[in-house]
Amino acid sequence: MARISIDPVTRIEGHLRIDVEVDRGTVQKAWASCTMWRGIETILRGRDPREGWVFAQRFCGVCTTVHAMASVRAVEDALQLEIPANAQYIRNLILIAHGLHDHIVHFYHLSALDWVDITTIPKADTARAASIADGVSTWPGNSHSELAAVQNKVKGLIGSGQLGIFSHGYWGHPAMRLSPEMNLILFAHYLQALEFQRKACQVVGILGGKTPHIQNLAVGGVMNAINLNSLATMNMDRLGMMQSLLQELVPFVQQAYFVDVCLLAASYPEWFRYGRGVANYLAVPDLPVDAKATQFDLPGGVIMDGNLASVRPVENWRDEAIRTAVAEDVTHAWYIGEGAQQPWKGKTDPYYTDFRDEGKYTWVKAPRYDGHPMQVGPLANILVGYSSGHPSTRKWTDAAFERISSINGTAVTPEALQSTMGRYLARAIRSAMLSDLALRHMELLSANILKGDDTTYNPPQFPKQEIAGVGLHEAPRGTLSHWVVIDKGIFSNYQAVVPTTWNASPRDDKGVPGPYESSLLGNPVADPEMPLEVLRTVHSFDPCMACACHTLDASGREIAQVKVL
Amino acid sequence: MIITTGGSPRHARIIGLGNVLLGDDGFGPLAVEMFCCQYECGSNVDVLDLGTPGLDLGPYLYGTDLVVIADAVHAEEKPGTLCVYCEDDLFAHRGQLRLTAHAPGVQESLAQVRLAGHAPSELVIVGVVPESSSLGNGMSPSVLSASSVAVENIARLLVERAIGCRRRHAPVKPNLWWLSGDPSESLRAHDHNPMCSTTAWRET
Repeated sequence: MARISIDPVTRIEGHLRIDVEVDRGTVQKAWASCTMWRGIETILRGRDPREGWVFAQRFCGVCTTVHAMASVRAVEDALQLEIPANAQYIRNLILIAHGLHDHIVHFYHLSALDWVDITTIPKADTARAASIADGVSTWPGNSHSELAAVQNKVKGLIGSGQLGIFSHGYWGHPAMRLSPEMNLILFAHYLQALEFQRKACQVVGILGGKTPHIQNLAVGGVMNAINLNSLATMNMDRLGMMQSLLQELVPFVQQAYFVDVCLLAASYPEWFRYGRGVANYLAVPDLPVDAKATQFDLPGGVIMDGNLASVRPVENWRDEAIRTAVAEDVTHAWYIGEGAQQPWKGKTDPYYTDFRDEGKYTWVKAPRYDGHPMQVGPLANILVGYSSGHPSTRKWTDAAFERISSINGTAVTPEALQSTMGRYLARAIRSAMLSDLALRHMELLSANILKGDDTTYNPPQFPKQEIAGVGLHEAPRGTLSHWVVIDKGIFSNYQAVVPTTWNASPRDDKGVPGPYESSLLGNPVADPEMPLEVLRTVHSFDPCMACACHTLDASGREIAQVKVL
Repeated sequence: MIITTGGSPRHARIIGLGNVLLGDDGFGPLAVEMFCCQYECGSNVDVLDLGTPGLDLGPYLYGTDLVVIADAVHAEEKPGTLCVYCEDDLFAHRGQLRLTAHAPGVQESLAQVRLAGHAPSELVIVGVVPESSSLGNGMSPSVLSASSVAVENIARLLVERAIGCRRRHAPVKPNLWWLSGDPSESLRAHDHNPMCSTTAWRET
């Protein structure tokens, strides 16, 4: 039995530590630990709820907008304040653009190099690579000359003897199995992706005023002035600019990213057998299409025990079960006490011990739903949508299955999505859907403005008595909830239960492990010195510890250490 | 007659990095806010508070002549010391020198943008050594007062690189929304610093 400790795991935002015990090439036990704490919610207490979102969007440098959005929704929920339809569409467009940006970065820049061995690229036959790519996609960035230019860049990089930022990859690992041509195609898109990240940022910038920290939110709506005849406001020019940015972004997502993940899935079909983990799924509805938020373009729901035939729908944000079922357990987390607290009553009093396998070992609390650990993220999103017959989810999921099967006959079912590869595929399916929805919400916004509606804001009024609310958002990494208590017009409690807290959750009072931990059981590890396969499964969740344990990397530590104990 | 060399004017991005909720880690956002309040630039200069974007920094480094990053840096100097680094320093000391808490993001993003063929021609880091980067909404007096030296350095860089900026006749009051209390005393401390000579801002 070998014990491996990887610290930190995330590619750049540090502080996720994974420990695994490996016997005969597979993981037997796993622990997920977050190694740094800052009780960031404490900074919100005592503040004016109207400005909470400005601070909340500094929780994390990557998911800025999602915390801003959850914060205003929480206050609006507490006030039962409706926001205008224009405000819903403008917020939705920001969330969609941010989501697309985030998913593109996750696949190409944060996880593709777990599967793509760039050191084989010099051996690729570029003409053959262009013909493979042409056979599966109409993406114009797959031309022979483009791929040859990328190959030359990689040759130059390797020839210089300085791999630089790529020097820590597990190159030559036996689990890296793509052909040099496939590696070239995916790496070419890795480089092209930067351009499309930019376009997504520009969309957020047009609506939000600035990126990455948007300026246009308000409790009660958005602060975008709409006047089609004014140069300084949301006008036809800006709407047109956004439309053309989205029209450039959508083909990259649907013809490059989506197809690449299908190619990857067809090339590594065994990864549909690993990484299932916690098979309880939670997704909340998002992208409301009316002012009252009664109808949503993305469905929410709860699936227990991997039973895809039975979904409890979460119809809207007033869902009573979520309000009562969510609690955070601190038995194995470095906080005072044991057992679980509902977030409105949540406390965050640190109590550090060493890393104790059977005791406390992380700064992440263990969120539970009716006492059960839940997996959140694009996979939960897709499984809920598929099982409840959501047309857009069905369309893109079936398209992915057909594409994978047409490449090499690999048959994928919704059941098989509950795996490491399923999480990659679900994220790509969700991105393809979000691309369609970007154009739809553009149309909804334009049509509503042309109808003569220019309202974007309903002013909030705060009562003297204590009120509580929850702001729900289906963020790129999954269900995000901000829980607020407001007393005499100021925050008296603030708790954020973020997607990575659900997924990186430690064991609870009953000893039941969280999604990362249980997804690693049975995971192969060919070489304990190079635990590439562990990274594949952990990265499939897109870990981002910055807000999960409320931390940012202030240690400057750059290189992950792998210790075989 | 004005003689130009043709083509578009040189372009720059001034970027503040750091988390304003983590004390002196907010130096970058502070420095760019102070710069905007004391200097005016043309449309060829973007001034951005990017927080802690990690790998999401890439798009902001894309296709520009000069990038200046203001950030807290970990150097063997006393807190409040201003340290200026060029791109070579960032890569030469990789793994040994902890330039900044956000350096891994800067290095990776820059390398990616470079490989994609859209890297800035020049990158400069204007850093300050922090005193304390723990949770809270205060900044150390030494770091607050160093921001004005940083502002002068940024302005000088823009002038030296023929990109240009102009000192405002009447500085505007900075919006330091994340700081509680009145930081103005510490911010004015630089009046006694011989390295720079900015005037105090005017209440607007």
